[in-house]
Amino acid sequence: MGRLDALKGFGVTFRTLLTKPVTIGYPEHKTPVYPRFRGRHRLWLHDDGLEKCVGCSLCAAACPADCIRVVAEENTPEHRVSAGERYARIYEINMARCIFCGYCEIACPFDAITLEHSYELSEYTREALIYTKDVLLEPAPKQPPLHPNVPGGPIPPGEA
Amino acid sequence: MSEPDEAPVIITINGQAVEARKGAMLVDAAKAVGVEIPVFCYEPRLGKPIGACRMCLVEVEGMRGLQTACSTPVARDMVVNTTSDQVKDAQNGVLELLLANHPLDCPVCDKGGECPLQDRTFQFGPGETRILEPKNHFPKPLDLSPLVALDRERCIACFRCVRFSEDVAEDGQLTFHERGDSTEIATFSGEPYEGRFTGNTIDLCPVGALTSNPYRFVSRPWDIKNAPSICAGCSVGCNLEITERDGEIKRVTGRPDPNMAVEEGWICDRGRWAFPALTAGDRLVMPEIVDQVGRRHVRIERAVGDAGAILRRSGIRVAFLLGTPVTVEDGFLALELSHLLDDAPVARLGVSDDGLGPLRALPGAQMHDMDGADVIVMVGGDPSSQQPVTELRLRKARRNGARVAMVGPRPTALDGNTAEALRTVPGRLGDAMDVVAERLLGSSRAIVLWDECDLAAEPVAADALARLVASTPGARAIELAADVSGPGLRALGIPATGVLEQIEAGEVDVLITVKADPTTGPGGTRWAAALNQVPTVIALSTHRSPIVDLAAIAIPVLYGLEEAGTLVSMAGRAQRLRPGAIGPEGAAAAWEVLVGLSHRMGQPLPDRTAAQAFDRMAKRFPAFSGLTCTDLGLLGAPIAAGTGGPAAPARRAEGEGLALVVSTPVFGDATAHRSDALDCVREETHLGLCPAEADRLGVSGSTHVRVTTPFASVLLPLVEDHRLHEAGAYLVLGDPASMAATLLPADRGPVCAVISAPVAQEVGA
Ligand code: SF4
Ligand code: SF4
Ligand code: FES
Repeated sequence: MGRLDALKGFGVTFRTLLTKPVTIGYPEHKTPVYPRFRGRHRLWLHDDGLEKCVGCSLCAAACPADCIRVVAEENTPEHRVSAGERYARIYEINMARCIFCGYCEIACPFDAITLEHSYELSEYTREALIYTKDVLLEPAPKQPPLHPNVPGGPIPPGEA
Repeated sequence: MSEPDEAPVIITINGQAVEARKGAMLVDAAKAVGVEIPVFCYEPRLGKPIGACRMCLVEVEGMRGLQTACSTPVARDMVVNTTSDQVKDAQNGVLELLLANHPLDCPVCDKGGECPLQDRTFQFGPGETRILEPKNHFPKPLDLSPLVALDRERCIACFRCVRFSEDVAEDGQLTFHERGDSTEIATFSGEPYEGRFTGNTIDLCPVGALTSNPYRFVSRPWDIKNAPSICAGCSVGCNLEITERDGEIKRVTGRPDPNMAVEEGWICDRGRWAFPALTAGDRLVMPEIVDQVGRRHVRIERAVGDAGAILRRSGIRVAFLLGTPVTVEDGFLALELSHLLDDAPVARLGVSDDGLGPLRALPGAQMHDMDGADVIVMVGGDPSSQQPVTELRLRKARRNGARVAMVGPRPTALDGNTAEALRTVPGRLGDAMDVVAERLLGSSRAIVLWDECDLAAEPVAADALARLVASTPGARAIELAADVSGPGLRALGIPATGVLEQIEAGEVDVLITVKADPTTGPGGTRWAAALNQVPTVIALSTHRSPIVDLAAIAIPVLYGLEEAGTLVSMAGRAQRLRPGAIGPEGAAAAWEVLVGLSHRMGQPLPDRTAAQAFDRMAKRFPAFSGLTCTDLGLLGAPIAAGTGGPAAPARRAEGEGLALVVSTPVFGDATAHRSDALDCVREETHLGLCPAEADRLGVSGSTHVRVTTPFASVLLPLVEDHRLHEAGAYLVLGDPASMAATLLPADRGPVCAVISAPVAQEVGA
């Protein structure tokens, strides 16, 4: 290895020193996401406060990771939870298994479940990764910023 | 129905030459060669096709317009097209109209995912509709009964449910109100749809119009697992399907592929909605032992280990008592274990075999043989309440042209419209034998249904009946067996007597009971006294019961719908139970516990699965010879007929007073009482008297009476019914907690009862 080679190597180093870094100072700075980014799920309410989800379990049927569990029950006049005849008494997503494919969102006939932008989903226990209905009905606490190239940003692969 | 021996004809379906039975309907001919013609209303089990839904339209060359394939019989050289543009157009049109008023609420519909309407629309329907007008709306759901919910918006008016009610159950309760797009299903009177078979309409409905209330919103088809199994409710042995979710049984339905030799896909509501009993509050879920500390819960290994240690002690005298529903495997392993224990006696709780030998030696028949019978005579019993699906078989036989007669002391649901009712004097079945002879005269394919309990009580009548049937050419017999375990355990030679006598003689140190609770059944008082003399009781039980409280070791076991095993039906058909759910964590199948005991005794039996036990047993017992577990498959197989036995001398009824006529309705048994779903159809314990007799006894108008036999004295609700014979007291057994069964002797022999008015403070209580 000659002296020239060493200089060549340092050349790369010094050139890169002068470019803008691509690393982000996470967690102080969050990676921005595109609008159709698929992160943590959210269950939605109607304007009148009733749940959109009717507990039809179609999301569970569509889910390739088999990580959704829905147990439905009937709405009664005294206890009306959703707008339909039935509601989800139990709605759980096992976030440890979810592959964030978004099929649940596509399957839902009532737009009751969507995948939001939040991607900070680490927990200390596996149990905490099972998101129950009350968790999912809350908006995600930490929303990352949107990517600056929006609109017209690249469409994430797999979604057409 | 067309004649089976008609020569086949050749027709052309979609350009393919097809051989079909003449008279067969086009749908079936097409199905045989894999061409699907969509149908909704067509269901051969409901009788003749009615062409209500028009889904099955096809083009037949030379016939004007489209034809309904479900009601067009094949004819020589027919040329059929099921895929032409005209047919496609018709299919699109029919589905568009069927959906014109349909609410399209599949996501909230219990049928969604297993719905023929969804499937047909997807496969044969138009992608969209041109109908923009507002749809009809009805309040929903409407409870047709506490068990069946009706959603009128979804009904496609296919008539299946109405035809079931009219032509199969023949209760004539369901009908259509109004016409056109206002058509709706209702009962004639507006009363709830009541009956023993109502749940079958749910299985039949091709849309989500009729759904099960207990299953309402419980699960969706992709969240469940289904297992084909057998009902352990009565001795008919209906084939059914069990739905499991999250480890629990959530639903029981008729088999989608019915066993045409047994139940044809119809099951009774007791079989359908008894499963909540498995999770009832008094289910035994953890083994219990009694030691120095007192009664406490232990793990099953510990309980079986303790029991094994007791059995290992030398010189110990053991006895086994089998109750119900006990599988053939349970019985076999009890016998195997008894061989390891100096041939300890094994007995079953049930009716004694004495005197029934001649009847059991008669040529037997399967349930579907009734379809072709010319004469059917029932002697004793009440199949509608004790073996319910038999009723549907009898009604079908009558529609097929059989003359049906019911000879016995009880009024039954079949009287009048299906069976000619020949009421006998209670306790005097023997007197009616010439009437039976008269009905059998000239028949060539007669079937005689005889009731195990009633004929065991009258051995002379049993012998006479056996000779009568044997001398009638072509006549065959089916036993209306009293309990679901009896036929199988009998095939293993397990008697109904012996153990009680041995206990009373002080010859039993350890009693092992398998799903048996003798203290609330016949001879209960005598059993209770006898059990006090047994130092150690080891109880294998599904639920908490008096024997569990008495036992030194109680081990929870699985119930029929949860276990693998074999049951033999009353028509002598061995059929496999398949586990529909895993059952309580601390429980095991009874046969497994018995094998476990043999291990702890140091003499391990080799069986690891119920199937192995069955195959080993079949080699040993002639009744099962040549059968393997694989042979039984999904539909079961008949076992060899019994070899019979001697006739017995006449039995005198014990006690004084009125002859007691006993019924044991399956809608009233312990399991039915544990299932909250059956609240609306449950039968309760009571005593029936003819009003004249009640008057004579001075109890007319009272709510309760005191019933006294030599064995017990019990206070029971009184029901006066003019259809009852005045020489009898009609005891209907319901919840075992009523202790009414203890009025009977231990072998369920004939007995008379004294009926008296209760003393004042009894009724207030
Ligand atoms: S995103 Fe995909 S994997 Fe995750 S819950 Fe939805 S369907 Fe299942
Ligand atoms: S309720 Fe169901 S079975 Fe009865 S007519 Fe309507 S669609 Fe047919
Ligand atoms: S299936 Fe032929 S008309 Fe209904």
